[in-house]
Order: sequence, then C-alpha cells, then structure tokens
Amino acid sequence: MATEKELSDFLKSVEKRAWKRAVYAVRDEDAALDIVQDTMIRLAEKYADRPAAELPLLFQRILSNATMDWFRRQKVKSQVVRNFSEYEAPGADSDFDILDTLEALGGPLQSESAAESVSRAQILQTIEAEVAQLPPRQREAFLLRYWEELDVAETAASMGCSEGSVKTHCSRAVHALAKALKAKGITS
Amino acid sequence: MKLDDRTYRAAAREAAEARFARAVAACLDEGAGQLSPDVAERLRFGRQKALELARRGRDETVGVTASGAAIAGVGQSRWWLRFASVLPLIALVGGLVLIQNWQTRTQISVAAEIDEALLGDDLPINAYRDPGFAEFLKAPPSE
Repeated sequence: MATEKELSDFLKSVEKRAWKRAVYAVRDEDAALDIVQDTMIRLAEKYADRPAAELPLLFQRILSNATMDWFRRQKVKSQVVRNFSEYEAPGADSDFDILDTLEALGGPLQSESAAESVSRAQILQTIEAEVAQLPPRQREAFLLRYWEELDVAETAASMGCSEGSVKTHCSRAVHALAKALKAKGITS
Repeated sequence: MKLDDRTYRAAAREAAEARFARAVAACLDEGAGQLSPDVAERLRFGRQKALELARRGRDETVGVTASGAAIAGVGQSRWWLRFASVLPLIALVGGLVLIQNWQTRTQISVAAEIDEALLGDDLPINAYRDPGFAEFLKAPPSE
C-alpha cells in the first residue's frame, strides 16, 4: 500500500506531464486541468491502497479514460476515433532517409541557427506543436513509451492494443517528428 | 551474411529512433517544467484535493476496522459491516412473509367456521339452492 508521501510524490512527479498530454489531446488548457484533477482524484479515491509500483500504470489508464470521457461529453468522440487510418503518417517515407535524420537529431535538439535567431523557448514550442500534431494514437504511444518511460508491454496495456501496434505507432511517430523538425530547421 | 547486415541495420535504426525519441522527450520535459504559475497552482490544488480524499478514505477504513473489531471482537469488520447493512432488508422480508402467513391462516379459519356452521345446522345445505326457500327467506314474516 502506497504511503501518503509516496502518493504525493508520485502525483507531483506526473502532474505536469499529464497536463501537457491532456492539452495535446483536447487542445484546451482548462479542460486539460479538469481532466488531470479528475484523474488524480479517481486514483486517490479508488487506488490509494495499491502498492506504489502500480500507481504509474493505473494513473496512465485513468488519464486515458478521463480524456475519452471528456470527448464523449463533448460528443466529438466519433471524430477522434472514427478512422485512425486517416491520421496515420503517410506511407513508407520512401524518399526520406530516416536513419540519416535520426542520427543527426539524436543529440540534444536545437536550431541550426539557434545562436543567431531562434530562442530555446521557440524550439521547445515548435517541438511541442509538432508532437501535438501527431495522430492521436501515435502521440499517445510515443508519449507513454518515451516520456512516461513505460515499457512496450505497459504501453500496450495502457492503450488497449498489441505490443506490435505500440512499436508501429512509436516508429511512425518518431519518423513523422524527425521529418517535421528537420523541415523546420531543428537539428543537432 | 546479408541477413546479419539487415539485422544490424534494423537494430541501428531502432537505437537511433530511441535516441531521437528521448531527445524529444527531454525537450518536452523542459517545456513541462516551464508551466505558468496559474497552471502549476491549479495542479497543486488538484493534487491536494486528491490527497485529502485519499487521507479521508484511509481514516474511514481505519475507523470502520476499529469499530468492527470492537463490536465483533475480531478484525473482520468488513464482513460484519456488510451483514449489518443487509440486516434491515432481511428483517423486512421476514416480516412480510409472516404477515402473509397470518393472513392466509385467518382466511382459512374464517372459511372453516362458515363451513362448520353450515354443515352443523339442522337445515340441509341443499335448501339454500331451492328457489322457493330463497323466496321464503326474502318474504316478510307472516303473522
């Protein structure tokens, strides 16, 4: 059973990322705050007696459910989930050598001409905007896997899909981001 | 040999993807660390509210456990609590069954009394089916 301090520390560590993720999903800061608050309350009410190690996965599931509840309330769920194929990244990227780009972007991200013209804050904003533009399932997989640092199995459990789908979503998200950021001149 | 080369390229690609993804995640972390004071405050408020609810839930569990143990003398308070909550329902259903039983017995006993009176009377029971006797009963008593 998680102690009060463990629960508090966990919520503190996860709340900002959770809010950002909710903002990416619903594109409304106030609604995102409500979703995160609702998620924290549901976790505390129903699962505070669970071991601390179980909290991250439980939190992610509740957050996903709370986000979906919000969409249901807004009656636009059908638009979000109508056909994920519409949101998938275009084809095989045959004309785009991802490996080269990834190698170039693998280090700390910055603008090619950062020192001259673009501030760090602008770079972060651009990256956030590109993440926000990813298709919902790709974004969710990418953020759970690499930002929340869940493993593939945990991400799959949280998203309710297969591990293969998680790998595919993550790979497509990485390629789409790399391509978009390179197009905006953000490389190492 | 060709397969090894392909495997190597796939592994390299996967490693590069992971490196890139972590670099992006680090940037997102940096961005998340720069939230406006208003958002940070509202998140803190939400967290405090959640913790308060968790604390209250824990206190209730402890209270129930303590009172359950005091009543039952054992630590199985939840079982007793559940039993205590359905006790009024059991009493209600039992009461309804008893009332129904009592009503049925009363009806039977009334019917038995009527039967007994009819059968024990000097007048044969078939007399009540005789139209002439019915008229006789309706007619005013003659001098």
